[in-house]
Amino acid sequence: MESQSSTRGGGAVTTPVPHMGVRSVTVEYPGVRALDAVTVDFHAGQIHAIVGENGAGKSTLMKVLSGAVAPNAGELLLNGQPTVLRGPRAAIRAGISMVHQELNLVPTLSVAENVLLGREPTLLAGIAVDRRRQQDRAREVLSMLGAELDLSCAVSELSIADSQYVEIAKCLASEAQVLILDEPTAALGEYEARKLLNLLRRLRDEGRAVIFISHHLDEVVDIADQISVLRDGRLVAQFTRNSAGVLQSADGTIANEDTLAHAMVGRELGSIYPVKGTARPGSDAAIELIEFGAVGRSSGISMTVRPGEIVGVAGLVGSGRTETAEAIVGLRRAAGEIRVAGRTHAFAHPRAAMRAGVAYVSEDRKGRGLHVSLSCIVNMTLPSLDAFSQLAGARLDDVKERSVTARWINELAIRCARPGLAISSLSGGNQQKFVLARWLETRPNVLIIDEPTRGVDVGAKAEIYRIIAALAQEGLACIVISSELPELIGIAHRVLVMRKGSVAGEVTREHLSQVGCDERIVRIASGLSADRQGTS
Amino acid sequence: MSNSHTGLAVRMQRFLEHWGVVVAFVLLFAVSALKQGGDFLSMENFRNLLNQNAAVGILAVGMTLVIVSAGIDLSVGSMVVLAAAVGTTAMNGLIGAGWSEPSAVISGVVLTILAGTAAGSLNGALIVFGRIAPFIATLGGLAAFRSIALAIAEAGEIRSQSPTMFSALGRGGIPLPFAENSAGKALTISWSTVIFFAVAIAAQWFLSRARFGRQLVAIGANETAARYAGVPVAWIRFRVYALMGAFAGIAGLVQSSRMNSVSTSQLGLGSELDAIAAVVIGGTSLRGGFGRVWGTVVGVLILGMITNILTISGVSPYWQGAVKGTVIVLAVLVQRGSRA
Ligand SMILES: Nc1ncnc2c1ncn2[C@@H]1O[C@H](COP(=O)(O)OP(=O)(O)OP(=O)(O)O)[C@@H](O)[C@H]1O
Ligand SMILES: [Mg+2]
Repeated sequence: MESQSSTRGGGAVTTPVPHMGVRSVTVEYPGVRALDAVTVDFHAGQIHAIVGENGAGKSTLMKVLSGAVAPNAGELLLNGQPTVLRGPRAAIRAGISMVHQELNLVPTLSVAENVLLGREPTLLAGIAVDRRRQQDRAREVLSMLGAELDLSCAVSELSIADSQYVEIAKCLASEAQVLILDEPTAALGEYEARKLLNLLRRLRDEGRAVIFISHHLDEVVDIADQISVLRDGRLVAQFTRNSAGVLQSADGTIANEDTLAHAMVGRELGSIYPVKGTARPGSDAAIELIEFGAVGRSSGISMTVRPGEIVGVAGLVGSGRTETAEAIVGLRRAAGEIRVAGRTHAFAHPRAAMRAGVAYVSEDRKGRGLHVSLSCIVNMTLPSLDAFSQLAGARLDDVKERSVTARWINELAIRCARPGLAISSLSGGNQQKFVLARWLETRPNVLIIDEPTRGVDVGAKAEIYRIIAALAQEGLACIVISSELPELIGIAHRVLVMRKGSVAGEVTREHLSQVGCDERIVRIASGLSADRQGTS
Repeated sequence: MSNSHTGLAVRMQRFLEHWGVVVAFVLLFAVSALKQGGDFLSMENFRNLLNQNAAVGILAVGMTLVIVSAGIDLSVGSMVVLAAAVGTTAMNGLIGAGWSEPSAVISGVVLTILAGTAAGSLNGALIVFGRIAPFIATLGGLAAFRSIALAIAEAGEIRSQSPTMFSALGRGGIPLPFAENSAGKALTISWSTVIFFAVAIAAQWFLSRARFGRQLVAIGANETAARYAGVPVAWIRFRVYALMGAFAGIAGLVQSSRMNSVSTSQLGLGSELDAIAAVVIGGTSLRGGFGRVWGTVVGVLILGMITNILTISGVSPYWQGAVKGTVIVLAVLVQRGSRA
C-alpha cells in the first residue's frame, strides 16, 4: 500500500467549510424506508467513505446528493445554502458528478464519445462535434486514470472493468467539485483499484470533495478522511481522521475492518471464510478442459475440476477469464475439448450446458445477469423455468415460483420488500445475491461463478462463501473467477492464474495457506516469475 | 421519481398509464351512445362492432406477442391475403376435382392456416437464421406475399365455389337465447367473434401464465440476458413469427368466408397498421418486454368505435386516418410514463 501520510492534504487539518451536506433526509419507497433522518456533511479536500450492509441506503443517499432522487423530507445544503436539485443535470451544473453503481453507458457509442457524452467539444459555432478535441480530451482523462483503452472502440466491446473506467472518466471529465462514486472499485481488480484510489487522493489534494462507497473495508480505512456508517437507513457511526492520522469515532473507537464491520451489521462477525472441505479423493473429473480456449481470447487451457473442489481463477483484468468461461457454456466460439463427467461436449448454447449440469453466473449483473425491468420472481425462476412448467409448459406453477423465491430471499437474507416488484428496486448487493440464487436453483453439478461477491457486504459475503462451501461438500464442482485475492485464497482449494489468455501458473493448496501467497499470485498474473528470488 | 409532494398528479399519471385504455373505451362508448341514441346500445350494434373487427383483432392479438418479444411484423396484411388465396384456390380445385363439399372445405380451412404459418415461418427464418432485422424482413414479406396472391388470381377476385358450407362459416354463429335483432330473429354471435375471443384468451394465458410467454417477455426485455439465462432465444423468436403467420391464416379464413371470396388486391390491405395501432393503444410497449393482450382487445374496439363514430357523423373517410393517427399518438403519450 501507498504510504498515506505523505499525500494527505491540508483539508483534514484546517477546518474546511462544509461543501455539501444533508439535514434529516428521509427517503421512502413502498414497504421500506431507505433513508431515515440522515444528517451528514461532506467537506472539500476530503475523502468521505460511506459503508453499510446491502440495502442500508448508501446508493439512495448518493442519489439524493446527485439530484436523482428527491427526498421525502429533509434538505440538501450546498455551501451552507438549502438547495433543491431538480434532476441530475441540475446537480452537474452545481458541480456535482456521480458514478452510479450500475453502468450507464451508451453501448453503441465509442469510448471517447461516452467519456464526453453531453459535453462534446464543438466546431463551427456548435453545429459539429470536434472529433479531434473529443479524442484528445478523452485520452487525457483516461490517462489520469492510467487506463489504456482504444478510444474508438465501442463500449459494448469492453469488459466490465474497462466500462467502469469509462464511467469514472465521464465523471472526471465534468471537472466537478464534488465527485460521488458508488462502488467504483467493485468491478476492478486489486491493482486497478489501487490506481483508482491514488487518483482519488490526488483529486482530494486538489481540493475537491470525494464521496465514495465501498464494501472493501481495507481500502476504506486506508484512504478515507471520514467514514459514515449506515444501517437500515440510519447513520449509526462516524469516524474522523484526527491530526495523528487515526480514524476515530466520537466515543474513541478506532476504525479498522473489524470495528467497521461491527458497526455495519450491529453484531460480531467471525471469520468470513468457512473451513475448506476436501475434494472427493479418487473421484472422476466433474469437468475437464483440454487445450481449451475462447477463439481469439484465450487458448491452450487444460484443467480438471473434481466434485467437491473449488478452483479459483485469478488474473488481471483482460486476462481472458470471463471469455473462457463464456466459451465453456456456449456463449462464445470455443476451441478445444470439454468433458463433463467423462463425456465430451460442445455446447452451442447455455441451455445445452445447463442440461449437462454446467451453469455460468455472469459478472455483468445489469446487462447479462438479470432482467432489471422484470420482477424478482421472474428473474429468480428464468434459468430453471422448466422445473416450474406444467402441462408441457402451458402453465407455470406460480405458487411454487413464489415459494422458491421466498425460500432464497430467506436463505440469503435478501432485502426485498415485494418480490413482485421489478428487481431494479433492489440494492446492488441484493441483486447480486439473486443472480447467484437463480443459478443455484438449477442445481448444477459444475458451477462457474464470475465475481461472486461483487458489491456484496461483508456479512453477506460470508454467507455466500458458506453456501458455496456447503454445496461443494455435497459434490458441486466450482470454478470461481475473482479479482479479489483474499476471496480466492480464502475459499479455493487451488488457484489457477491466467495471463494473456492462457494459464500462467497454479498455486496449490499448500501454497495458499502460506503467507505471501497473494504476492505470488500477483507476480504470476503480471508475468513475473512466481518466486521473488527468480527475478533478482 | 417517487415523491410525496407530487401525490395526486403522480397517482393520476400512474392510473392513466395502467387504465387509460379502459377510460378511453368508456368515454368513446358514452360518446357513441349519445350520438346514436338507443340504437348504439343495442346488442346488435355491439355484435356488429365485434364482427367487423374480428379479423384485425386476431392479427392484433398475434402482433401483441411479436411486439412483446421486441419484434414487429409488417407483413400480416399480406399474409392474410396470401393464406386466403391459397386456401380458397385449393378448396375450389378440390371441389372441381369432385371432392365432397365438407372435405373440400375442411381441406381449404386447414390449408389457409398452413399457408399463413408457412409465410410466418419464412419471416421467422429470415429474422432468426438470416439475422435480418424484423422490420426489414417483414417489410419484404409485405411486398412479396401480396404479390404472390395477386399472381395466383391474376390480380382478380377468387370466388369460393362452395355453395353453402364455406360462407356459413363466415356468416353463421351461435344464437344468443335472450337477444333478438331488429327484425325479431334470434341474435347470433358470429364464429369470427368467437374465434377472436378464443384466440385472445389463449394468447393472454400464454403471455402471462405459460413458459412461452415468460420467455417472450425475457427476450423482449433483454435478449442478451435471456440468452445467458438459457432461454432458447432463436427457437422462441422463430416460433412467435410462425405463430403470427398462423394467426394471419385464421384472420384470412374469417375474412374470406365472410365475403365468400378473396379480393387479392383489397383483402388485408393496410391491416398491419391497424393491428400495430391497436397493440400500442392497448398499452403494450413497442420496446418489448411488457405487453397485455386484453389491452389490445380494448384497443381494437376503440379503433372500431372511432371508425363508426366518424362514419356516422359523416366525416370523410379521407380524414379518418388523421383522427386515428392522433389517437395513437395520444395513447402513447398518456401511457409513456415509466415504461416507454
Ligand atoms: N426504486 C426503488 N423502489 C423500491 N425500493 C427501493 C428503490 N430503490 C431502493 N430501494 C430500497 O431501498 C433500500 C436501500 O437501497 P440502496 O440501493 O440505497 O442500498 P445500498 O446501501 O446502496 O446497498 P448495496 O450495498 O447493496 O448497493 C433497499 O431496501 C432497496 O430495496
Ligand atoms: Mg448501492
